[in-house]
Amino acid sequence: MRGGSIYIERSSGLHRLHPLTKVALTALCFASAAALPGLPWLLALFVGLLLPLAIWGRLTGAFLKACLLVVGPFVLSLTIIQGFFSGGETVLFNLGRFVFTQEGLLAGLTFAARLLVALGGTLLLMQSTPQPHLMQALTERGFPPRIAYVVLTAIQIFPSFQDRAQVIMDAQQARGLELQSGLLNRARLLLPMVGPLILGSVMDVSERAMALEARAFSSPARKTSLNTLADSLLQRALRWLLALAAAALLLWRLWSALQ
Amino acid sequence: MNSLRKEFTTLSITLIAVGIALNLALGTVVLRLGLPLYLDSIGTVLVGALVGPWAGAATGFLSNLVWTLTGLFPQAFAWAGVAAIIGALAGVFARSGWFNSVGKAALAGIITGVLSAILSAPIATYVFGGVVGAGTDALVAAFRAAGLDALLSNVAQGTFSDPLDKLVTFVVVWSLLLALPAREKARFGNLPVSAGRPLAGKTRRPAGKAAKKTAKKAAKKSTRRR
Repeated sequence: MRGGSIYIERSSGLHRLHPLTKVALTALCFASAAALPGLPWLLALFVGLLLPLAIWGRLTGAFLKACLLVVGPFVLSLTIIQGFFSGGETVLFNLGRFVFTQEGLLAGLTFAARLLVALGGTLLLMQSTPQPHLMQALTERGFPPRIAYVVLTAIQIFPSFQDRAQVIMDAQQARGLELQSGLLNRARLLLPMVGPLILGSVMDVSERAMALEARAFSSPARKTSLNTLADSLLQRALRWLLALAAAALLLWRLWSALQ
Repeated sequence: MNSLRKEFTTLSITLIAVGIALNLALGTVVLRLGLPLYLDSIGTVLVGALVGPWAGAATGFLSNLVWTLTGLFPQAFAWAGVAAIIGALAGVFARSGWFNSVGKAALAGIITGVLSAILSAPIATYVFGGVVGAGTDALVAAFRAAGLDALLSNVAQGTFSDPLDKLVTFVVVWSLLLALPAREKARFGNLPVSAGRPLAGKTRRPAGKAAKKTAKKAAKKSTRRR
């Protein structure tokens, strides 16, 4: 777990899409995860939409690996918990007084598939879009630039904080802090480990703020960007189409739930 | 609205970014120490205590957004609301002087932990099917086996781990506030003047009116000598 991004640079059509088009795709994934009725539909969406997109973006291996890493633990937990505890008629096997049912297994896998579609959409978006481009696209559409600044700065400085934490831990260990001791002992080490990092970074804040002020951070004037994001009429239309499809799916789900 | 604007100066916006980065980076330390805690909200609680409830809420909410955007923990955004409430609570507790003593800070941590357990449970139950995809799911299974329903098992799992986690978080922040120079604390202006006095009072100048008096006296003395 190093660095603050899973973006993978490739030269592909998916990478060249406008960030908001990919956001609309992710929104459709979320709506489908919430609205699609069953396991076959969800898996069909994953294989029929997300996987081809990943192949188009030349990210197939990385995308599948990321999905497995994120959704894998859910599959395990959901299978066990839903399999044993959500009830049903068809008993597959039993462990003492607890029965594992086919209906429970199906419910668990359906839930996992919903997460796969929603989180898979998010992962694909973040693997094919640099975070600064995403934030730029959002601020161009009226997203507050200060929030964009906070988000991007946090992503940029967090790896260097991790490095600093590592250095502090090494230094404290060199001074004789014992890491291989009992739980309570290790809990007491927490403060000497995190203290220097946190205090140091809080005291750097005013310098950072002054540097920002010197670069017109709080000026209300419109700022321009060096980077221009390519957009097209076709993509605009596609975005509206995707948003409409997402809304329609959610409405259809709401309507059928009320029936 | 006025208090909202007051909490978002260039200085505090910078602090919020640092707080988010701290939330993300401290995971490394917890991992290395092998502690059974998350400690993923030290930055949130620190910003809430220093700047105020709105800034704390923003730090919590945006931390989870950043977790999602990094792609390292994309499901985090589902809990952004809970994280925001934790930050807001830290701000309110600090403003009313709960960070003045370690006992009060610990109690504030436990209250926050119980609340976050209750608020997180419906998310785990209805969005993630009753699990969070981590080791704590074994606890959920144990509570389900003991006969609790889905929602209650998640509440029980949360109250098992969250209060302790938030207690440690709040006590760590309390001790950091003690160590932070008074100048830095005054800059953000949420903490009452007396925060962190028990230890700070011995080594630093007394704050407030008394400080002014002693400063004046000292000034007089020095002029007389001249």
